[in-house]
Amino acid sequence: MSEEKKKKGGFFGAVKEFVYGVAAHDSARFALKSRASMEHLFILITMGDMLGVPILPPYYSLRLLPYVVPQISTWKRRMLKEKDLTDGLA
Amino acid sequence: MNSVVVLILGLVVAFIGYRFYAKHIDSKIIKSDPKRATPAKMYMDGVEFMPTSKNILFGYQFKSIAGAAPIIGPIIAIQWGWLPALIWILAGTFFIGWVQDYSSAMVAMRNDGASFGGLSHKLISPRARIILLAFIYFYLLLIAGAFGNVVVSTTIALKAAPMAWLFLTVGGILAGQMIYRWRKDIILTTIVTVVIAMAGIWFGSIAPSDSIIGASLANSRWVWAIAAFVFCYFAAVLPIWRFALPINYVASYIVFLGLFFGIIGIFILHPDFTLPAYTGFSIAIGPIWPIMFVTIACGAISGWHSIVSSSGTARQLENELDARPVGGGVMFIEMMLALFALIIAGTIYASSAEYGAAIAKGPGGIFAAGVSKFLGAIGMPAALGRSYGSVMMIVLAITIMQLVIRFMRVATSELLSDVSPVFRNPHIGTFIACVLGMVLVMTGWWQYLWVLFGGANQLMASLALLLVTAWLMSEGKSAAWAFWPMIFMFITTIAALLYTSYNLLIKVISGAVKGEALIGNTLMGLVGLFLVVAALILGSEGMKALKRYRSITKTQAAAAAKA
Repeated sequence: MSEEKKKKGGFFGAVKEFVYGVAAHDSARFALKSRASMEHLFILITMGDMLGVPILPPYYSLRLLPYVVPQISTWKRRMLKEKDLTDGLA
Repeated sequence: MNSVVVLILGLVVAFIGYRFYAKHIDSKIIKSDPKRATPAKMYMDGVEFMPTSKNILFGYQFKSIAGAAPIIGPIIAIQWGWLPALIWILAGTFFIGWVQDYSSAMVAMRNDGASFGGLSHKLISPRARIILLAFIYFYLLLIAGAFGNVVVSTTIALKAAPMAWLFLTVGGILAGQMIYRWRKDIILTTIVTVVIAMAGIWFGSIAPSDSIIGASLANSRWVWAIAAFVFCYFAAVLPIWRFALPINYVASYIVFLGLFFGIIGIFILHPDFTLPAYTGFSIAIGPIWPIMFVTIACGAISGWHSIVSSSGTARQLENELDARPVGGGVMFIEMMLALFALIIAGTIYASSAEYGAAIAKGPGGIFAAGVSKFLGAIGMPAALGRSYGSVMMIVLAITIMQLVIRFMRVATSELLSDVSPVFRNPHIGTFIACVLGMVLVMTGWWQYLWVLFGGANQLMASLALLLVTAWLMSEGKSAAWAFWPMIFMFITTIAALLYTSYNLLIKVISGAVKGEALIGNTLMGLVGLFLVVAALILGSEGMKALKRYRSITKTQAAAAAKA
């Protein structure tokens, strides 16, 4: 959100954001996490032959590749990032 | 003393702590830089790392840390008198509480959003990571047991609670269905489901559980413990959008409205404290030091907050300057919540005998009676107010409890899946977590269970402060503001856990307890001892790391002096 928009929101904008933070931000984060898990599966299906698991014929992998490319860098980072038990809590 | 004076005192401490102490640490020692890229910006993936407005994070942090603990702790601790409890809430938050919440977020932010496992590996030693994670598992088990006990005692003490809880569950499930399946408008969904939950509160007040299922079932600890863990079981195995999150969503409105109008009620009624300011050094639970310092956990300092700050909030802060309001500021709000609970416990009973009779049934009844009294000041009938207070108490406990059971299911799978593939099954992990929690709830004396939970929670806080101290020293920054709180919390919590475990196990060894209490005492005593041993190993590893950093700093200083 830009600085200008924030200023426009003023006090009531801040209250609205606070209420959203209390009530719904967690739900939005978990929805995004669920989507990310599905995307991981999609990338695995599309690029499985890179890992030695040829799930899709190369023709379809190549057709799907443009849709996967924007996700690759964040996917790689998420997969390689060290995780521990506390990651599931917050 | 008048309750409004306590609230004003809290506001003054919060103002000085936040405006001066926290600002000094933030600007002079940590040197927060608004131009430095935070992990949320550097590693934005639209999932975990995502720049988020500080107002949203303020609400998110508050919702994540405000469970039942800041309310129950002061209600129990007032047995030593309201003055020691008041001093600990104010001083604990001022010198330790916000320090831990803020610095946990900051240390994670300055280390690429790493979580505590990674940080302990990097800053202390590889062994520290494994011990810390095992420690966290048992810490979570104690949360499940202590909060499960709160749910059970509240449903037994307040017969309106089960119906209100049932309606809240129905409203929550409907909210999930309306939002995610029927794609209904969020405002319509909120109105419909919150009205259902409110109707449950009203219905509970006119149809108490004993009038529906009979007094024997309504007073059975087994019935409500099974209900609580079945609830958590569904929360752990169902998709999170289907059960856990929408129930939390609806519940948050109930809690928020109750707290808001409850505090207004205090200002309207402004009652005086009726319980004594100080009763004595030693009471039935134990001596004031160390036991009171772990009985009041989240209202003064809590290890849970450090996990939320490091693994959740630190990955979403878009500006380093936001760490002070989100990490530190929210802790001062939590302090006000603890003061609210202290005022309830200290003002609603005419004498210590009345309070003593009420606390024997559990803290939920006291909280509900207080909410009823203060909501009564704005016109809510007493029975409805008690029903409202009871569901608030259940909500505050069970929202954390269901998250903990879900998490223990994941942890069981990760820790034991190499031992046997059967542990990969989500139902097995959840079942194990629920059974262990049930054993604690059904066999342990709830005040000892609470002290053990508080001890584990505060010990977690001191371990978080140990990581922060190690990071500060590794960076060559002044560390005294985190080091001395860490030392105080470490010694206090180790003493509290040893005292409680000794009391539990000595009864087992001497044969003073039999049957259910034998199981409860043994399990709680052994868990307490395990936590002490794990913390001592971590403390020893941590001190070695601190010595290492100090010698590096000295060598660098000597080299700089020569040059």
